[in-house]
Amino acid sequence: MRYVKLPQENFEEFFNSLKKWGKVYAPVKKGNIYSFQHVEKPSEIAFDYTRTMLPPKKFFVRPKDEMLRLKGGKWEESDGVEPIVLFGVHSCDIHGLEILDKVYLDEPVDPYYKKRRENSIIIGMSCMPDEYCFCKSLGTDFAMHGFDLFLHELPDGWLVRVGSVKGHEIAWENEELFEELTEEDMRNFREFEEKRANSFKKHLNKEGLEDMLDLAFNSPVWKKYEKICLGCGNCNMVCPTCRCYEVCDLWMNAYEAVRVRRYDSCFMESHGLVAGGHNFRPTRLDRFRHRYYCKSYFDPSAGFNCVGCGRCDEFCPAKIEHVKVLDEVREGLQ
Amino acid sequence: MTFQTHDARILEVKELTSREKLFTLRFVDPEVNRSFKYKPGQFVIVDIRGFGEFPISLCSTPTREGYFQLCVRRVGRMTKYMHTLKEGDIVGIRGPYGNGFPMEKMEGSTLVLVAGGLGMAPLRSVLWYALDTGKYEKIYLFYGTKAYEDILFRDEVIHLLKHGEDMNCHVKLAYEVETPSCIYLEKGYSPRVCKGVVTDLFRGETFDVENTYALICGPPVMYKYVIKELLDRKLSPGRIYMTLERRMRCGVGKCGHCIVGTSTSIKYVCKDGPVFTYWDALSTRGLI
Repeated sequence: MRYVKLPQENFEEFFNSLKKWGKVYAPVKKGNIYSFQHVEKPSEIAFDYTRTMLPPKKFFVRPKDEMLRLKGGKWEESDGVEPIVLFGVHSCDIHGLEILDKVYLDEPVDPYYKKRRENSIIIGMSCMPDEYCFCKSLGTDFAMHGFDLFLHELPDGWLVRVGSVKGHEIAWENEELFEELTEEDMRNFREFEEKRANSFKKHLNKEGLEDMLDLAFNSPVWKKYEKICLGCGNCNMVCPTCRCYEVCDLWMNAYEAVRVRRYDSCFMESHGLVAGGHNFRPTRLDRFRHRYYCKSYFDPSAGFNCVGCGRCDEFCPAKIEHVKVLDEVREGLQ
Repeated sequence: MTFQTHDARILEVKELTSREKLFTLRFVDPEVNRSFKYKPGQFVIVDIRGFGEFPISLCSTPTREGYFQLCVRRVGRMTKYMHTLKEGDIVGIRGPYGNGFPMEKMEGSTLVLVAGGLGMAPLRSVLWYALDTGKYEKIYLFYGTKAYEDILFRDEVIHLLKHGEDMNCHVKLAYEVETPSCIYLEKGYSPRVCKGVVTDLFRGETFDVENTYALICGPPVMYKYVIKELLDRKLSPGRIYMTLERRMRCGVGKCGHCIVGTSTSIKYVCKDGPVFTYWDALSTRGLI
C-alpha cells in the first residue's frame, strides 16, 4: 500500500478535485442525525460524525429501486447510474459493503449493484468510537481493502492510504497536493490509533459465538426480548449488511409500469409468508431470533454478518442492545 | 440480464381441479427454447407483466423437449390472474433455478416418491423422467390427497394404477374425504387406494434400503411424519431427498426471503435447494 500525507491547507483543493470523478456525497449533520448527502464544499462535511442513520448501502441497494420499466409490453432495463464519490466512509461501513459485495457480486451477479459499485469511489475516513461502537471486537475497526483512499486524521492534515488503482489515479493526478510522510506523522498516526483502540466501551464476546447461539435456540432470553421488541424493522433498515428486498410492479400510467424493489425486513410478518397463507416464521419470537442468527452467521470467507457499527442499538426505539442480547443468551447457557 | 425474463407462449391450458390448472408453455424465441435445459425439481420464476413475479416448480420432464409445464394453484393475486390466461397468451419466464434432484446419482436404484397435495407437481417431473429413461429399478409413488376431486393429474395417476406394474411403477393413493368416486376407486384398486394419510401407504412395504432413494414433497406438516416412516425402515438420511417451499422472490440468493438456518449454517432455499437431504435438515435448523 502507498502512504502519503495530505496537509490540511491542501484539503480543499483535494476535495474539489474529487468532483471530476463524480458527485461527491459526504456525511452531513441534519438535526441530531448524520446522513450521506451531496456536498459542494468541505465546510458542509461533518468530519467528526460517528455514524449516519442509513449506511452507504443506500447508494448501491437503494431503499426503493427501479429495476425494469414496461414499455409497449416489453421490459426495458432502467438506467440512471451516475458516478459518485463517497467521502468519509468509516471502516465498519467499508466492511459492510464488502459483505454486500459477497452477496450481490456472487454468481449470478446483480447487474444494478455491480454497475453502481463500478461507478463509485470510496474514500474512507478515520473515526473515534462512541458508546454504541463494537467494531473492534469483530475485527472491522480497520479496513485493509475495499476503499480507494483512506484518510487518517493527523494534527495538521491527513495520512492517506491508497487502496486501489483508482485511488492511485486520484493521487497521481493530484501529486502536487501530497507530501511524503515524516517520522512525526507516523508517530501521530500510531498515537491516534492507540487512543482509538482504547476508546471502545462495548465489547462483543465472539468466541464460539455461532456455536453458542446454535445451542441457545430455546433460550428464554429470546422470549424476554420478544416482548420488548416492537417489531418495527428499524434495525434492518439501518444495518449496513441487511439486504432483504421485496419486489413489486407499479403502474405509472395506463401504458407504463415499473418493477421496483424496496427494502424488506425480516421483522415483518410477510417476510416468511408463502402463497396459501403458511408462514415459516409466524411469531415475533421466530423473527427476532432469526435476525440474531442471520447477523451472527460466520462465513469463513467474509466473517460475521455484523460489523459492529452500533446503528441497530442507536436507532432501536425499544432500546434493545445487540451485544447485551448476545451476552445474556451466552450467560443463560452457563 | 439476471432479472430479465423471456417470452413464453401458452400452448395449452388444462383444468386439473377446481383450483389447479396445468399450463403448457414454449419460449417464443427458438434459440431460448433450445437452450432451456432443466432438471426435475428445479423451478422457474413466472413474470406476469405489471402484476409481479412468482416462483413455481416445473412439473414436466426434461426428457420431453420443446415445451415445459407448470401446475398453478389459484391462491393469490398473481395466480388468480394466471388462471385467466388462455392459449396463445404470453408470460415471462426466467430460470431454471435451484439444484433439482440428483437423477443421475440415483440411476439403478428404487425411487420412493412421496407426494402430498400440490407436492405432486415437482414429483411428477421425477416420475416421468424415471419412466421415460427407464434407468431406475423400481418406482413407488405414494400420493396423499384430500379428496378424489383434488387428485392432481388424475388421468395419469389412474392410468398408472391400472398399468403401472408393467412399467415397474407402483402407485398408492390415500384420500381423506370419503366421496362416492373415492369409494369406487378404492373398490377397484384396494389395497393400493385407501382412506387415510400418506404415511398409511407405507404399511406393509419394505424397501431394499441399500438401493433406495426417497423423494418427498408436500405441505410442511408432512415431512416430519414421512421422514419418521423412512427412518423406521432404516433408510439413510443421505438417501432421503425433500424439496421445500419458501417465499422466493428473486430465485438467485439475493433477496433473503428464503434464508433458513442458524448462526452455524445458513442456507438459501432458492440457491442451495430447494432439494435438500435429511442430513441438511439435521444440520440446518428450520429447514423442515
